[in-house]
Order: sequence, then C-alpha cells, then structure tokens
Amino acid sequence: MAAINVQSVEAAQDNKTAPPKNVDSQSVLRRLQSELMALMMSGDPGVSAFPEEDNIFCWKGTIAGSKDTVFEGTEYKLSLSFPNDYPFKPPKVRFETTCFHPNVDMQGNICLDILQDKWSSAYDVRTILLSIQSLLGEPNISSPLNPQAAQLWSNQEEYRKMVENYKCPNA
Amino acid sequence: MEEQPNTPFFNLGILDSLTQDSVNQIIESYNGFCNTTQSLLSGAGDLSVGADFVSHIHGLCKFGLESLVRDHFFYVLEETFERNGASRLWRHFDPYSYVAASNKNDDLDIDEAEIQSVLYTALEEISSEKQYQEKCLLMLVHAFQSYKDQVSGERHDLGERNYLTSKYQWIVSSVLMATLPRNFPVILHWYFKRRLEELSTIMDGEFQDDTSQNKDGMDLDEKGNVGKCNKASAMDVDESYNDNKFLENNRIVKSIGKVVLGLRNLGFTSMAEDAYASAIFLLLKAKVYSVADDDFRSSVLQSIQSWIQAVPLQFLHALLVYLGDTVSYKSTSSGIKSPLASQPSSSCPGIDTPSEGLVRWKLRLEYFAYETLQDLRIDKLFEIIVDYPESSPAIEDLKLCLEYTGQHSKLVESFISALRYRLLTAGASTNDILHQYVSTIKALRTIDPAGVFLEAVGEPIRDYLRGRRDTIKCIVTMLTDGTGGNSSASGNPGDSLLEELNRDEEIQEDAGVDDDFNTDDRQAWINATRWQPDPVEADPYKGSRNQRKVDILGMIVGIIGSKDQLVHEYRTMLAEKLLNKLDYDIDSEIRTLELLKIHFGESSLQKCEIMLNDLIGSKRINTNVKATISQSSQTSGENAISMDTISATIMSSNFWPPIQDEPLNLPEPVDQLLCDYAKRFSEIKTPRKLQWKKSLGTVKLELQFEDRVMQFTVAPVHASIIMQFQDQISWTSKNLAAAIGIPVDVLIRRINFWISKGIIAESPGADPCDHVYTILENLAETSKNGGSSGNTQELLGGDEEEERSVASVEDQLRKEMNVYEKFILGMLTNFGSMALDRIHNTLKMFCITDPTYDKSLQQLQSFLSGLVSEEKLELRDGMYILKR
Repeated sequence: MAAINVQSVEAAQDNKTAPPKNVDSQSVLRRLQSELMALMMSGDPGVSAFPEEDNIFCWKGTIAGSKDTVFEGTEYKLSLSFPNDYPFKPPKVRFETTCFHPNVDMQGNICLDILQDKWSSAYDVRTILLSIQSLLGEPNISSPLNPQAAQLWSNQEEYRKMVENYKCPNA
Repeated sequence: MEEQPNTPFFNLGILDSLTQDSVNQIIESYNGFCNTTQSLLSGAGDLSVGADFVSHIHGLCKFGLESLVRDHFFYVLEETFERNGASRLWRHFDPYSYVAASNKNDDLDIDEAEIQSVLYTALEEISSEKQYQEKCLLMLVHAFQSYKDQVSGERHDLGERNYLTSKYQWIVSSVLMATLPRNFPVILHWYFKRRLEELSTIMDGEFQDDTSQNKDGMDLDEKGNVGKCNKASAMDVDESYNDNKFLENNRIVKSIGKVVLGLRNLGFTSMAEDAYASAIFLLLKAKVYSVADDDFRSSVLQSIQSWIQAVPLQFLHALLVYLGDTVSYKSTSSGIKSPLASQPSSSCPGIDTPSEGLVRWKLRLEYFAYETLQDLRIDKLFEIIVDYPESSPAIEDLKLCLEYTGQHSKLVESFISALRYRLLTAGASTNDILHQYVSTIKALRTIDPAGVFLEAVGEPIRDYLRGRRDTIKCIVTMLTDGTGGNSSASGNPGDSLLEELNRDEEIQEDAGVDDDFNTDDRQAWINATRWQPDPVEADPYKGSRNQRKVDILGMIVGIIGSKDQLVHEYRTMLAEKLLNKLDYDIDSEIRTLELLKIHFGESSLQKCEIMLNDLIGSKRINTNVKATISQSSQTSGENAISMDTISATIMSSNFWPPIQDEPLNLPEPVDQLLCDYAKRFSEIKTPRKLQWKKSLGTVKLELQFEDRVMQFTVAPVHASIIMQFQDQISWTSKNLAAAIGIPVDVLIRRINFWISKGIIAESPGADPCDHVYTILENLAETSKNGGSSGNTQELLGGDEEEERSVASVEDQLRKEMNVYEKFILGMLTNFGSMALDRIHNTLKMFCITDPTYDKSLQQLQSFLSGLVSEEKLELRDGMYILKR
C-alpha cells in the first residue's frame, strides 16, 4: 500500500431560530407554515391536519382513536380555524364527525382547557391534535358537555357499542 | 371644293349630294384600289402597279374615303403578313416542335450552328418581307401626302406617317404573338444559353488570365481592363492573343446582337431580353453553384463579383454597344450606387462611365448572385455551423449577402427546420447539441451582432434542451472543463465556454457593467417571441437593439432557467472532483470559480468557495498533523504504514453537498492510523473533531505476488477487500462481507473489480448463495481461471468504477420529493381524494419553505404514479386517494 487519502468531516453547530412573536399577518402566516412543515415531517401516527385549499387559517384535521381505548379503529374529522392574532389566541376546534364523548357536544364543540383558558402560544397544531387524541381516551367526567356519554363512560362495553353505532349509524 | 370635308365625320352630309356618276366613280376606284393593293402586297416586289395604286387612292380620297382606304389597306396587309410572313417564319422552326415539351433547362440535342443559321434565315426572311411591306406602306403614305398637297397645298407634318408605321409595327407583333409556336421561346432561350456558355468559357479563360496576372503583381487595373475591350490602347501583354480573343468575343456578341436586333425589329424586345437575361442568370447561377460548392473554408463572394465583372457585364456591355443602347456617356449612374462602388475594381472595365442600363444590369446580376449564394448557404447553414469556426469565411459571405438582400427571416425559418430535423432528435447527444448551440451563437453573432434573430433560432434548441435530464450536467462540465465526465463531445466545447467566461470578464472590465442576466434574459425572451427581422437599412451598430449584447454564458444559463440550479450542479461536480484529488492542487478550480463568481455573483458561489478553502486548509492541517504526530506514533510502529502515506481532505460538512457514506471496516493498521490522525487533529483544532468518511477517497496500492508486482489506484472498499486476502487466501462471500462490514450484495459487486483483473477467482461454495473467493498467486493460475474473461469483464468493472461519492442531483431531488410525499399524504388524509391539479396547487400554496415546491405538473404526475406503484396511493377516476 502506498498512500491513503480519506475524507473527514468537521462537526459544526446548527442553531435554530426561535419562532417569531410579532402579531403582523406575515408572521402568523410564517408560523402556520412552519407548523404545517413540522406536522408533516413529524409523522405522528393517528393525527394529521392540512390547510384548506386557499386559506391557511382554516385547516382540516384527522384524528384516529388510540389503541386500547373504546375509540380504537375510529377516525374523526376536525376543523381548525385560526384567529388573526394566533398564536396569542387559541384556534377554534370542532369535530366535523359526530363524536360520542363526554366532553364533545352534538354540534362538535369541544371542552378542553388548553383550547380555552389554559391556552399558551407554546402549543401548536400538533400538540392540539395530540391533546384531543388523548382526551378521547381520558375524558373529564366532572364537567361533561354530553351527560349521557359521561354516564355511560363507566360501562366501557356499552360505550364501545355506542361509539360503533355513531361510527356507522346504519349498522 | 370648300364643302369637301377633310375629316370623315362629315361624310353623312355629302351622301345626299352624291350622284350616280360619282357613285360609279367611287366603286370603280375602290375596285381598282383593291386589286392594286392585292397585287402590290402579294406580288413579289412588283411595284409597277404603284402608279395605279396612287391614282385610285386619290380617286377615293376625293370623296373623303381616306379611312376606308386605310382600313382596307391594313386589313390586306395583316392578312398578307400572316400568310406570307408569320406562317413562313414559324415553318422554319417546325422541325424543332418537339422541344416545346421539354424542360427549359434540358440540354437540347440540336446543332448549334444549325439553329443559328435557321434563326438567321428566318429572321432575314421575315425582315425582308417586312421591309417590303413597309415600302408598300410608305407608298400609301406618299399617296395620301401627294393628294393633300394637291388639294390644299399645305405641308403636313410627319404625324400621319408615324401613326401608320407604328400601327403597322403593332400589327406585325400582334400577328406574330398570336401565331407564336410554343417551341420558339424555348429555342431562343436555348440558343442564347449556348452562345453565352461559349462566350463565358472564352471570357472565363481571360478572367483566369487576369487573375493570374493579378497574382503576378502586375498592374491589373490598367491592363486587364484595357485588354478586354479597348484594343486601341497600348498593352503590355500578348496583344495578338488578346486580339484574337477579342475578335472571337466580338463575333459571338455580334451574332447574338444580330438575333436580338432581328427580334426587336419584330417587336419581340421583351422576349429577346427575357431570353438572354434568363440565360445570363442561369449561367450566373451555375457559376455560383460551382464556386460556392460545399467548401466553407474560403470566401467566394469576391470571386463571384469579379466574375460578374469579367463575364456577364462584359458581354452585356458589348451587346448594348452593338444594339446602340449605350448612348449616354454622361454620368447617369450617379443616382444608382453599386454596392461595389467603393472597390477600386468596380468601375466597368474598358468603359469610362458605365451607362445607366449597364449599371442596372450590374445591380440585377449582383442581387441575383447574392441571393443565390445566400440561399445556397442558408440551405447548408447547419453544416456550416458544425464546421464553425473553420467555416467562418462562409459565414462572412452569408452576412454580406444578407445585408444586401435582407432576407433574414428566410435564414431563421430554414435553420430552425434544419435544427428540428437534424439536431433536436433523440439520437443526438446532449453534448453535441450544446456544442452546436454554442457554435450557432458564435456564428450568428458574426452575422448579426445585435443578436436579434439569434433569439429566434436559439429558442427551439433551448426548449429542447430543457427537456433533457443531463443538460445541466453537460453545461457545467462544459463550463468547468471539457474533459470531466462526458468526453464524447466532438471538438472541445469546454474550452470554448471557458474562453467565453474569459471573454465575458474582459467585457465586464471594459464596460464595468454588472449584468443581471436573469432579468436580461427574460426581456430577451419576450422580445424573441415577437421577433421581427431588422429592417435592412437599420444599422446594427446603432439603435436600441444593440443594448442586448450576445452573452453566450447568459444564453446557456437561460436554458437551465435559473443560475441557482446551475450553481447547485456545479457544487456537486466540484465536490466530486475535489474528493477525487490526490494532491491539493486546485489552481484550475480556483480560476474557474473566480470566473464564475464574476458572472454569477459572490454570494451564490459562497459555498463553493468554502469548499475550495477547505482544500487549502486541509493541505495546511495535513502538514501540521503529520509533522507533530511523527514522533509519538513512530515509536509504536510495528506496522509498516507510516503517517506520510495518508493525506486527508477536511470538509466543512455544512457547506458541502450531501455525501454518500457507506459503512466500511478498514484494515486494522489503516484504521489505527486514521484514529491517530483524528486524535491529533482534535488536539490541534479543539473543539473541532474529525469524522472519517471511510468509504470515500482513493487508495494507491501495490500488490506483490510470487511472480509479479501490480499497482492499482482504487476506492477504499476495493483496498479493504484485497487486504483481507493478505492473511487468508480464501474467503466465503459471507465471511468476507462481515469482515469488511458491508452487505454481501455490495461485496459481490465490488469484488468483481478484482475478479476482472484476474487477481481473485470466484468458485461456487458449499452453500449455493455463498461464493468462495480465492486469490490467485501467479500468472499461470490467472490465465487458467479468469484470464479469458478478463478483458471483457474489465469493461464492465470499469463502468462500475463510476461510483459517485457525492449524492447526485437526482438523489437530492428524491430527497426533496420525499418532503412532498409527506405533504401529499397529509393532505389526502384530511381531504380524502384529490385531483392532480388540486394537489399541484395545494403544494404550490403551502409547500413554500425549504424546499420550495417548484415542480411542473408533469413531474408531479410521474412522482404520484411512482407512489401509486409503491402502493401508497390509489388512482381512481382521476382522483388520488390513500391506499389503506
């Protein structure tokens, strides 16, 4: 062997820029844009959302029921509508498909603290969707929007039947 | 007598006053007149009835029947001429009636002398007939004249006579025209052509003489001119020789002139002119074709011009003199300026001041010559440009022709169709197309410095090249050097483009203008779409159009669309090249980069600059590391490899294109060496650390066998493989792969290199999918085992060596597409089903940050169909849905 010429790599740091906090619409757009990118690239199973065709302030979301809950195998459509001063105000989130759940009423309104008084600009679309996904499996029985569901929650077998009824009403 | 009116309009008034006597008298006179007219005209020169004829006319005139006389006379005259003159004239040509069907350009199988004599006799006959009839006509005129003299004694002017002769002339030509047989123009044409050819061979010889004399450095201006037409002047050259020639010329010109005169006499002026003009043009065309030919290496325009001067103009001059048209020796030509006027030889030889007719002829001939040459060159423009720059004289010729004829649009149309047919086909390699494109740009820049129709011609090429995948690669290769990846290009386009870079640099230094060719190009594009040829008068060096300078590099980049793409590709290629360097010699790369920087701006090439700086830094660090490491590690040197054999290229990974790295176990001693090196590096350059890309680089190695020594330059993986055989002469593929740390299939691919070199033999092992590799220690074994297939395999192995260490642009593209895939899956999850264009629009709308979605609908469609075939998506009724 005569000579060896091998390459090496110098390590370098890559510091990330913090998300902008201005309220102007450009920064809102940028924020939503980057949230979309993050959501797309994260690849979390069971949650997904995408802006509607021409309006980045209106998103459609999809949540699959978590495994080992009564909602397993179901899929719910959501609509997310972002205010102009997002992320300082929370987005309005509603279920588009009827969801038989203690904290969701028949109109699809959701009672979730982080979407009301506990909102923080640190949350993003991805965390909202994950919170709603986990809310499905762990409802807050104490302040129900749907008392029937709250009552039935203790009987998981019956509850499962109701969920499946809602899933395919004709069955 | 007073009431006798002079004009026939008052005839009605005297009808009543006519007596029986006078009626009888009229009838008698009329009959007499008719008879005498008949006998006068039909009689062969019998003028004895002349006196009767005159008296009868007088008799009729007395009753104011002049018009009757005139009409009848002309009627008979016409009839007679038709019978005697015309039909007899045409009968001469009856034997040649077959030629009417043949093509004008065909060579007729007629004896030249025969046709000439036939023409002569026919023309002589008809002209004698005509002369006779004119004599008769004059008798009529005289009769009228004498009658009027008698009656009024007043002198009449020549109006009557002129009127009658012109009417007669008119009758003659109309009768001839009406009875003209179809073969006559053909024969005439053929005759002139033959005569001219004869003349031109004589004159050509003279012309050649002149040229040779000219070459001898003799005073041509004086002598050549004199020798041709003015034999009275003193001559230095063989006088009698030229005299003979002149006489010969004169004879031919006279014989032609005679025919022309005869025809003119018959009122066939235009036919005669047509005939000899077309003969001249045919001759000129043949001359241009023979001179121009397929040789593009020399300019032919000059020789054609001198030929026009020497042959056809000489002839025309002689002819016009003979016909007596060259009367105006005054400066009539001042108004019409010949394009050759500026040249000293342009004044017509032997003529002090060219007559206006001759100048007109000259202009016509030159225009025709230019046009013919131009058409010829335009037809062959594709070949001419292929030969560029050797063919630049032809381009110069074409330029001059176009300046004169102004038919630029013809060039554009013809060239574009040639391009489509011959260049823009699947069979042509991208390199060739680019090469031709560059030549086209250069050639057309000569013809049209403003680059007006270059845009139009370049457009189809650009469009086509955009559809090719390797275009960018070829362009970058051409930009950096001609010999990089694809060396199949004919000629060396690379040099030409580098030279362009240089040229551009000079321009920029001169003008100090920073050209933003992106917007420039867009503007040029818009202009190109509504291209109109420059008016001929427009001076290409003035006006707004020369603002658009022809920038080859800009046009090449215009193919790609954006300089970013080009820079990206350049970076990839630069990385590849730098990584394969064994030394740190990057002078040429620095030069290229500097040139590119001038053109594309510093900022876009910043990463490339850092890459080059890495190389420079590597050299320094390398020396440093080696110098400081030698004491410490040399002590433990139980292996033979010293630190001197290693030289590292240290890259700042953030600025280099993605590197393809395969895991690889290097042989223990080498690995140890690399570890030492890395340790030393981190000592010197804390806090930085060195990470080896072990699969990259080049290894020079020497293999010592029982009977021979071989040297190779290979990739590290090949070196690792062969190193394993140092201690163990036989390996199974599985074990070997494990030892080197690469997958078995990769190993099988790589080890083919050594098998093809006849160094390792492959044999099936116990397990069918587990091969056994054995090293061949001596040549005898080699020839026995792998030698036979060695040569063919080497080719295959050679191809495989084209492994790339840098992720290609395609790979990077795939990575980008991966992001789009996530987006597409995301939107389909939420929207269910979407059509192609909606996906396209949505991606355009929302996928705008790193990487920005910039693909075309077609690219997206092919990508989506790829996803469909991967069973990630389904396509149903034009809607894409997720596959579950």
